[in-house]
Amino acid sequence: MRKFLFYFILGVLFIFLQSSFFPLFLPPDLRPNLMLLLVLFAGLREDTLGAIITALLLGAIQDSFSGHSLGLYVTVYLAIVLSTRFLSDQLNAESPPLLLLMVMVGTLIQNLLVGLLLSIFADTQTVLHILLPAIPAQVIANLFFSILLVILFLKVQRLFGYRRGLSDLIAQGKHYGA
Amino acid sequence: MRELVKRYRFFLFAVILLLMSVVLYSYNLRQKSTTTFFERAVLTFASPFQNGLDHLVDSIGGGWANYLWLVDARQRSIALERENRELKSQLRQINEISLQNDRLRKLLAFVDDLDKPALPAQVIGEDASNWSRTVIINKGSRAGLMAGFPVVAADGVVGRIIKTSPRSSRVLLITDASSAVATLVQRTRTRGVARGRGGDLSLEFALRDSDIQVGDLLVTSGMGGVFPKGLPLGLVTNVEKDPFSLFQRVRSETAADFSHLEEVLVIVGEDH
Repeated sequence: MRKFLFYFILGVLFIFLQSSFFPLFLPPDLRPNLMLLLVLFAGLREDTLGAIITALLLGAIQDSFSGHSLGLYVTVYLAIVLSTRFLSDQLNAESPPLLLLMVMVGTLIQNLLVGLLLSIFADTQTVLHILLPAIPAQVIANLFFSILLVILFLKVQRLFGYRRGLSDLIAQGKHYGA
Repeated sequence: MRELVKRYRFFLFAVILLLMSVVLYSYNLRQKSTTTFFERAVLTFASPFQNGLDHLVDSIGGGWANYLWLVDARQRSIALERENRELKSQLRQINEISLQNDRLRKLLAFVDDLDKPALPAQVIGEDASNWSRTVIINKGSRAGLMAGFPVVAADGVVGRIIKTSPRSSRVLLITDASSAVATLVQRTRTRGVARGRGGDLSLEFALRDSDIQVGDLLVTSGMGGVFPKGLPLGLVTNVEKDPFSLFQRVRSETAADFSHLEEVLVIVGEDH
């Protein structure tokens, strides 16, 4: 229960940043999707059930803070977290470059799924005109902020004298080969 | 069979879960105009935080801009810009009203009154996704707002309310891909539908032979019952005519400046 509360609090904090803070300084294309980073983190870190519940929770929060029907981001994050769980069993998910690659692939999958679902169910094909040109900037923004978050986590967790989560993965990656 | 299920249980589980979430999404799409309990709860919970964050950033930004950076010049510039926008808006409205009066005099018909009661509101948040174009305003159902109410700024149409909670509402901007507004070209009265393209608008279903030129003003046609007639939507920036197409491709920039959207007006006329 504590871990879900942790994800919930972090999710709400991230969504406030995305909806009220970043728009003041960054154009839409360059705003990072911090929720996606959190979903990928949960997909790598938690067991399958925990990761699924976290993805559903974060998806519902993002849907509520976005102007579309409840269920869009629930579906997208569910698909991403299931893929991440599947991949984490097949690959060395502890490698830092692989983490960045996952952020990149995750961003692509998210945009493609959103475009697909909106085109099929909501009949808004014009969204592809917005989504597709924005993908490169989105990837760069997500990569930049994922690196920032990793550095921040490492700094914060060193203060508390222990390592868990993504910093743990990075540290292991350094020791056992990236 | 049991062995097969056991071997592929992860995939089966994943497919079932994905199908369930797609069904949820599809169901919610049908209930578009209603705000779910979960959404209302989240909006209600978030509203004071977003208000607080907005005030905090405004105070810090205001402090920096006004006291540390050219106190008088900046404030004077802001006042003049505001005045300029208001005057331009008034001029456009006068043009529209004048053309309308000419037509109505000929027809000896009714006078369409655009003066409807409006409620001012402040933008306190934007959409959490980068492709969707919605904003949150600080007035909700307690102020009498409901889904479908049109929202305008001094320069032109902003969008319409799609979800409400007691203290805040979500506004779908006209630049969103799912937004479509019945439109008229002010000069020639050519009809079309202005659809959002993220940053600008495209005028759809405008016949190839219709006279549309760069610089023409697009206004709401009043069809559809959401927006009153004659509100400015945008200026035509590009017109392309394909000889083999029934319609022409028209692009337009928005009249309202969405990059600096702070205060808006919600039209709460008696016909809503």
